[in-house]
Amino acid sequence: MAKSNAAEIENLLPLTPPVFHILLALADEERHGYGIMQDVARQTNDRLQLGPGTLYGCLKRMLAAGLVEESDERPDPELDDERRRYYRMTRLGERTVRAEAERLASAVTAAKARRLLGHAGGKA
Amino acid sequence: MNALIGWLTRAYAVSLYAYPREFRLAYGGEMERLFRDQCRDAARSGDPLQIGGFVLRSGADWLGGNVRERLDSARGMLANVRKAAPRGLVGEWTMTLVMYLFAATTLVQAYVIPTGSMEGTLRVGDHMLVDRAVYVKPGALASRIMPYRDIQRGDIVAFLFPEDTKQTFVKRVIGLPGDRIRLVDKQVIRNGHPLTEPYTQHIDPSLDEYRDRFPTRPNALTMPRGLDMFERHVKNGEVIVPPDALFVLGDNRDNSEDSRYWGFVPRGYVVGKPLFVYWSYDASTNELDHWNTAHLLDIAEHFFTKTRWERMFLVPKSEQALEGKLR
Repeated sequence: MAKSNAAEIENLLPLTPPVFHILLALADEERHGYGIMQDVARQTNDRLQLGPGTLYGCLKRMLAAGLVEESDERPDPELDDERRRYYRMTRLGERTVRAEAERLASAVTAAKARRLLGHAGGKA
Repeated sequence: MNALIGWLTRAYAVSLYAYPREFRLAYGGEMERLFRDQCRDAARSGDPLQIGGFVLRSGADWLGGNVRERLDSARGMLANVRKAAPRGLVGEWTMTLVMYLFAATTLVQAYVIPTGSMEGTLRVGDHMLVDRAVYVKPGALASRIMPYRDIQRGDIVAFLFPEDTKQTFVKRVIGLPGDRIRLVDKQVIRNGHPLTEPYTQHIDPSLDEYRDRFPTRPNALTMPRGLDMFERHVKNGEVIVPPDALFVLGDNRDNSEDSRYWGFVPRGYVVGKPLFVYWSYDASTNELDHWNTAHLLDIAEHFFTKTRWERMFLVPKSEQALEGKLR
């Protein structure tokens, strides 16, 4: 089981930037579409602003791949004026985003080793 | 602003019909909600650059999402070709095409203000979207499925110029069928009531015998329809608007070629109602009428400085003139 999971994750990598950031947004809590979009904008200093087509297109594929699932709980029923759909990350999603982060980290290390990225000493 | 957001969201909801059916059914409602939230955020920022960015991004997002979901559903369908979905690939694409054409030809039309006849309200170089559905003839199919209302006095309308239907003009409706109109020293008198018109501007203090004391002594009349109006629809020194026609004037009253010169606008010539300015660029009438390379280069070079950012999303308002009493 664990083995097939690892292979499954390997197949999903590398993640596209929208998928990666959506998973990051869902790492700490369940969110609805607008919440995800706002958090992704925060993570990326407004550089990645997800429109409805991109966001729900990604969510559709992520649901199919089992990275996220719809939540039946209403985390904030008081503030929830409309019946918005909330999404949460699955175990598989968590392991995938972790694997992707590790992949990116090793890429960053490689870039640093070739002095392509700022060291503690600043720009050379 | 809220009305505009509501309208945009509705338009967006309609545009979602271009997405594959299953995707739209599953996510359409959520996408509409997200779009409205983003509209509100952009409007709240009040920053034209941010609003412009939002508009461009939404367009790209809609198109990109559409293509992606289409490809996805096509792939799914090819994989399930044996299951033979009742509405196949061809049907889906036909639906999309019909939606595109419907939106492009029926609902809205882009229009640019080429002359200064509405100056004071609309400026030369204002690029506008015209809502073509709102004034559609009562009883037409569109009047039942789209928000519809009849033309009222004070409305700004876009219409085909009766003397040359290749041109579209924008003016304000002053007289509806049955109304009696005359001008006394620049003052419009409708059905015996002098109008207070806050939207007009006068740039020429001198009085023109014809322009400002309409309809007297047709010295400036050259257009056949104007002459026709003068011969058949003037009674006791007033023009009487015939059935199924409109009497329109420009807000820049002293420099406007309008119903005073070329007669009434037939109701069927009305194209629609200007919705809002989506882009305003400082250009001359000549440049706007005859697009050429020089004009394109001018836009490329001066896009940011000659765009009138403050006019973006300006909504030209219908305004009722106050009717006073004759002294």
